[in-house]
Amino acid sequence: MTSRRNFLKLGAVAATATAAITGTGALTWAKENRIKGGRDYSPTTGKARKAIPSACWQCVSRCPIIGFIEEGRLVKVEGQPNSIRTDGKVCAKAHAGPNQVYDPDRILYPMRRVGKRGEGKWKRVSWDDALTEVAGRLKKLRDDGQPEKFMFHYGRMKASSSKLVGMFLANYGTGTIGNHTSICEGAKWTGQELTWGKHYDNWDFDHTKYVLNLGSNLLEAHTNHTSEAQRLVKALADRRIKMVTFDVRLSNTAAKSTEWVPVKPGTDIAVLLAMSNVVMNEGLYQGEGEAFLSFCRATPNVNASTADKVAALKAHLASYTPEWAEKISGVAADKIRTIAREFATTKPAVLVTYRGLVAHYYGPEGERAAQMLAAITGNIDNPGGRCKAVGAKWKFPSGPKDKPTAKKLKIVDGFKGQAKLPTHHINHQIFNVIKDGSLGRPDVYMWYCYAPVYSNGDCKANAAVMKDETLIPYSVCINPFYDESAALADIILPDATYLERWDWEDMVSPNQVPEHYIRQPLVKPLGEARNFGDVVCDLAERMGFPLGIKNMEDFVEKSCEMTPGVKEAGGFEYMKTHGVWHDPKAKPSYYGYAKPVKAADLAKDGVILDEATSTYWNWKKAKVKTVEDAKAKGYAHTKDAYKTYIGQKIGDKVYKGFKPDKVNKTGYFELYSTVMEDNGFAPMPTYKAIPEHVAMKPDDMILTTFKVNVQTHSRTQNCKWLTEIYHDNPAWINPASAEARNIKEGDRIRVASGIGHIETTARVTPAVAPGVIAIAMHCGHWEYGRYASGKKSPFVKEDIVHDKQMWWKSHGEHPNWIIPNDPDPISGQQRWMDTVVNVSKSVSA
Amino acid sequence: MNAELLWGLPVIGYLFLAGVGAGALTVSASVLLRGGGGGFAGQHYSIARYGAFAAPLPLMIGCGLLIFELGSFEAGNWFKWINLYKTINLSPMSIGTWLLTGFIGISLLYAYTFLPKSPGLGGNKDSLRRGLAWVSVPLGIATAVYTGVLLGAMPARPFWNSPILAMLFLVSSLSTGVAIILLLKAVFPGKAKDEARTPMVAEYFKQRDNSAYILTASDLMLIGFELLVIFLFIMYAHLTVGAVKESVSVIQFGGSLSVLFWFGVVVVGLLIPAVIELYYVIPKLLNHQPFSVPLGVEIIVPIAILIGGFLLRYVIVVAGQITGPIGL
Amino acid sequence: MSDVEISTTVKRRDFLNGIATAAAVGAGAAIMPKPAQAAVTGLKPHYGMLIDLRRCIGCHACSVSCKAEFDVPLGATRSWVEYVEKGDYPDVSRSFLPRLCNQCSKPACVDVCPTGATWKRKADGVVVVDSDVCIGCKYCLLACPYDARFINPVTGSADKCDFCLHRVEKGLEPACVNACIGDARIFGDLNDPSSKISREIATNPVTVLRPEQGTEPNVYYIAADHSDEYTAAAQGRYVRIDTHRRQQERK
Ligand SMILES: Nc1nc2c(c(=O)[nH]1)N[C@H]1C(S)=C(S)[C@@H](COP(=O)(O)OP(=O)(O)OC[C@H]3O[C@@H](n4cnc5c(=O)[nH]c(N)nc54)[C@H](O)[C@@H]3O)O[C@H]1N2
Ligand SMILES: Nc1nc2c(c(=O)[nH]1)N[C@H]1C(S)=C(S)[C@@H](COP(=O)(O)OP(=O)(O)OC[C@H]3O[C@@H](n4cnc5c(=O)[nH]c(N)nc54)[C@H](O)[C@@H]3O)O[C@H]1N2
Ligand code: SF4
Ligand code: SF4
Ligand code: SF4
Ligand code: SF4
Ligand code: SF4
Ligand SMILES: [Mo]
Repeated sequence: MTSRRNFLKLGAVAATATAAITGTGALTWAKENRIKGGRDYSPTTGKARKAIPSACWQCVSRCPIIGFIEEGRLVKVEGQPNSIRTDGKVCAKAHAGPNQVYDPDRILYPMRRVGKRGEGKWKRVSWDDALTEVAGRLKKLRDDGQPEKFMFHYGRMKASSSKLVGMFLANYGTGTIGNHTSICEGAKWTGQELTWGKHYDNWDFDHTKYVLNLGSNLLEAHTNHTSEAQRLVKALADRRIKMVTFDVRLSNTAAKSTEWVPVKPGTDIAVLLAMSNVVMNEGLYQGEGEAFLSFCRATPNVNASTADKVAALKAHLASYTPEWAEKISGVAADKIRTIAREFATTKPAVLVTYRGLVAHYYGPEGERAAQMLAAITGNIDNPGGRCKAVGAKWKFPSGPKDKPTAKKLKIVDGFKGQAKLPTHHINHQIFNVIKDGSLGRPDVYMWYCYAPVYSNGDCKANAAVMKDETLIPYSVCINPFYDESAALADIILPDATYLERWDWEDMVSPNQVPEHYIRQPLVKPLGEARNFGDVVCDLAERMGFPLGIKNMEDFVEKSCEMTPGVKEAGGFEYMKTHGVWHDPKAKPSYYGYAKPVKAADLAKDGVILDEATSTYWNWKKAKVKTVEDAKAKGYAHTKDAYKTYIGQKIGDKVYKGFKPDKVNKTGYFELYSTVMEDNGFAPMPTYKAIPEHVAMKPDDMILTTFKVNVQTHSRTQNCKWLTEIYHDNPAWINPASAEARNIKEGDRIRVASGIGHIETTARVTPAVAPGVIAIAMHCGHWEYGRYASGKKSPFVKEDIVHDKQMWWKSHGEHPNWIIPNDPDPISGQQRWMDTVVNVSKSVSA
Repeated sequence: MNAELLWGLPVIGYLFLAGVGAGALTVSASVLLRGGGGGFAGQHYSIARYGAFAAPLPLMIGCGLLIFELGSFEAGNWFKWINLYKTINLSPMSIGTWLLTGFIGISLLYAYTFLPKSPGLGGNKDSLRRGLAWVSVPLGIATAVYTGVLLGAMPARPFWNSPILAMLFLVSSLSTGVAIILLLKAVFPGKAKDEARTPMVAEYFKQRDNSAYILTASDLMLIGFELLVIFLFIMYAHLTVGAVKESVSVIQFGGSLSVLFWFGVVVVGLLIPAVIELYYVIPKLLNHQPFSVPLGVEIIVPIAILIGGFLLRYVIVVAGQITGPIGL
Repeated sequence: MSDVEISTTVKRRDFLNGIATAAAVGAGAAIMPKPAQAAVTGLKPHYGMLIDLRRCIGCHACSVSCKAEFDVPLGATRSWVEYVEKGDYPDVSRSFLPRLCNQCSKPACVDVCPTGATWKRKADGVVVVDSDVCIGCKYCLLACPYDARFINPVTGSADKCDFCLHRVEKGLEPACVNACIGDARIFGDLNDPSSKISREIATNPVTVLRPEQGTEPNVYYIAADHSDEYTAAAQGRYVRIDTHRRQQERK
């Protein structure tokens, strides 16, 4: 027990005593003089806690952090004060980081299933046994010439992890690799790839004067959350900028906005098109917008004049009047007009969008429509506008020289015809595809940082396939925690948590200046947990194709010593002590598209100008046989020609333009897309009603799901400090909708879709639009340990202290039982926010 | 009722038992003093004796209960409560602690002076007894009042933050003090024949029933007074605005504690005993008929009063905690 | 110098004395670029906090950083964030109200403490609890009009926010201030008119919580929404308070 009395009492004495020493009287520190962080002391002993720089990974934003160690234990995490991305701030989830390490339900040893699959019976095995088993199976496939039968499926795998694991997979020879982007924001990326090329937009809140937001909850979520949220709040409070948020419910972002505009789910495209209509018809594009049009493609003719482009845009948008949009979206025409005018006339203004706009049928059209509005108001890649993101560029070891040519099962793009442009694949269909079998089935299914059962729609179907040994003969889970999917594995390899791992990181910078930073272990992995990066090196070795990398630390070290800037600053040692590095001379990057291409680059071997598109590309690199073939086929219709893009000829100059990615678009900012046209879609952003919504019965409702500030997906509910704050996810329902169904606050309700029903609790609130029922996605675990589900993992001894303190009894309901896995026809994006449901008072209650 | 109770049954029990003890002792001492106060205390000795014996145990158990509610005790520091005695300050709890400690000592000593079954038999204990009685009356009242002050000292607890509460606790203490005496008397009547060794003692036994009458009648008065105080409590709370009004609504009709309060405290603890007592008191009062009460009634009435007294503490302690300042 | 001697003794209690001393010396030497304002005013510091709710996004970073700093047990909160949601569709608002001990100038908790375990420090106005002395009688918990205290199940003693004295004495900001994403929390010396907190208070309309309780809080708010469910219900308006703590109702 601590004796605080004298410490507490003598604060006074000390202060006075010091006064005597320094002769300055009693001490005060103005806030300005206080240390900005990076230090901490034990409140019980007063001893300094050991500080180690690292990086958060409670969500994809991966903010730089400092971890504090007291008596060998990680006790606290705070922001890295020297980071230019986060300015020393991190969100609540980061502060709960120690909970991940010390989760009493953690998996600490490799486990092999002993009972039937999914029965919950496990036996601890040694790493050697586990890896011998896994390597044995994998090696056999590889030796049999069927490496593609090894399917690797990941969720959040980024930066160095993705490079090292990628190196392993490439050297193994499988291309059957799944990700989770199609359940995330794939449609947004497809929309961007169709307009400005490589994805990721950064919103320059430091310089903006107006924010128009459609479907982003960036003050609670967002893939670059802390760095963007703090900048936005400063812009709102210090510069008093105006912000308008369209959302189907009052998110905290909407609540902090100057105005919340409720909108009917899936109809933001109509609003955006109507705003563009106003901008064009009222001549508000003149000035910056008009100037930017010279970098836009708005007609089939790539060399059209600005006047032609204006005419084309006006013609396309003519029918999309605010009155038309009002009928569709429920947003008053006047309001659309006012906001459009404000947005177009306040310079610079930033257009912000996220999953609320795109996780729908025709989601990419939403993003394209947003790009259009930002473009015609001149708010693209400019200070204060919607910028092309920049991140750190690391150099890293490329591994063994000769890799096998990857073979792959064509199972990650869904069934034929489900989507025309699945540039980020359709992985939510994977279990349907596997069940169907006609496209082949993997023999080994391994997943990493991913919760296939929980995070996709239709949990029941996912679990059924994962459980079926005839469909998936062997399954390997890499996870520190026992989630619903791990429960269906054959073998579990306990990963080190992100606070026990190495990585280099490269997340996008909110201020357009790249920052290099690393993740390093704050404590040694608990039990026998092992970083998966180390495990793949080991596996490769065991299968006879060593990667030449010892482990993840080695990979990070080598990368630090190779990367320009980092290397000169002091390399690995510097990064270990400082955690972050950026080039102090770097200037924020804007208007990258307007840079000229060097003549030398145009003169390189194989580079030609494609007449039809005015695009320079390299036919040789595109692996076309002859230049004649290349010219005949043309840039647009040569497979993967975009990878060889050099520049865009506009007038008589050649610009870097908007470099394409994934599709053969020109270097223009494409408001008119021949790629879309070629795939049977309208070339310009177009509104299309959601078929299920058109067919809705009068008392049907639309289910929408969302994220809250203190939880990430399915992965943070084991953090007691977070789950204590948010452990229940009642369904938000508007008083009018509730009354029509005789539902009162706190009632148990039944929410039924075409694939099943759940029972949950009603939260009757005016903070959601009538006709919409909104359920957060984080709760309703049935595994994942005591804090998440009330159920301990099967590996855990009694832990009385934790049990006694855990006071919440409710764990909420997961909505994904009733959301079908339904791809958007353009990108294959999972349509999270479109599900039509029937809501009624629960009969069982 | 979502709020968790910081002070639960131990504190409720403590407030109740301290009240009973203080009430019994005060009644005992005042009966003793009132009954002539002389060496033999005449007719009231027996009553005073019941009271003297009734007091120490509830006081001590009550204080003991308090310890169970301490966070330090719950955390395994069994003797940390001693810190209460390392200081004295203006906290009602600190004052109360010393007060009660002294009072327990006095109650034990006072009980000791009553070891003889009749007055005058204890020799030199008489003057001590009388002296202690003089101290006990103000101390008893102080203790009873203190339990109300303890709760009433907090502006943050509007239900409690009223001087009437101390009055209510005082009256209830006395009433439960009388009740415990009546109960003991009914359960342990003593044997007149054996004890009537001296004429004086015989006379004493003759008058015993009379004193029972006086007790019952004064209990009736106390009940009436208690009802009045309750009426004032509710009326003033009702007539005010804001937090106090809102907090008192928990015992008003529809409030979460209203049944317990109106049925348990008022009907069972006050009205029913009052009606029964009236039934037996009236004949003597009006017609000077002898006062006699069947044993069953002699037992049931004080028990009802004690239950009422306990429920009063229960309702008040709970009500104060589930209500609070309104507005922020 | 006597305080240096104190800091070199080995006993824990004395060591704890030393924290304050050493820190004050260290901070005084290293951090203070100029003589403190208090030297001019001759006043001791009086710590306070100002929370500018225009900048608060209700993110709970403050609450969770506080949990971590002190390993505050589940169910107990030194720091928490309430949400106030009100209005009628579509004119609905949600505002945030971070809460902590107000370090009152007239602390109701101190008045009732029978053991002297809790007191207001003369040196800087912070109300502290000595867990060695406190018996856990819960009197202060009931007396505090802000529900700012709890019994720490580990120590069995009353506990609450202490403005992170162990950090403040070393020239650091309280953990929650350091964590605040919106830079909404300003910590500093109310006695120093040139401190940021004093300047902000002087130039903005500020409020405190439950001023009618007479406790004279030293935690100030800019743009706080003081709506409560009780008044709203009386007026037939919708107001919902989410406390985000075990006590789901505001007390
Ligand atoms: N706290 C937290 N942060 C996170 C994550 C997390 O799980 N938790 N996840 C990270 C990841 S991977 C991602 S992809 C991002 C996601 O970040 P966001 O996309 O910003 O978050 P979501 O909650 O998925 O959806 C945003 C909003 O869309 C609204 N919405 C739903 N339908 C519609 C509609 O039709 N129109 C409009 N205008 N709005 C609609 C929802 O109400 C919700 O408020 O967040 C990242 N950051
Ligand atoms: N209804 C609905 N569903 C949604 C969404 C929605 O808005 N609504 N959002 C979707 C979005 S945006 C996304 S990105 C996906 C995310 O879905 P997933 O990619 O599945 O992501 P998470 O739920 O964050 O984490 C998955 C797994 O990672 C494990 N994990 C945590 N830490 C580690 C680690 O250090 N190592 C390893 N190996 N594993 C670890 C966790 O135990 C968990 O099982 O969910 C989607 N699902
Ligand atoms: S936004 Fe929060 S959870 Fe995500 S990486 Fe940053 S600090 Fe961690
Ligand atoms: S807020 Fe409560 S605990 Fe804090 S000083 Fe004021 S009365 Fe005491
Ligand atoms: S709980 Fe501790 S600090 Fe509070 S009043 Fe009791 S002894 Fe004092
Ligand atoms: S000042 Fe320290 S103890 Fe108080 S709320 Fe903030 S972090 Fe918690
Ligand atoms: S950390 Fe700051 S912005 Fe976040 S809830 Fe607390 S006070 Fe508000
Ligand atoms: Mo995502």
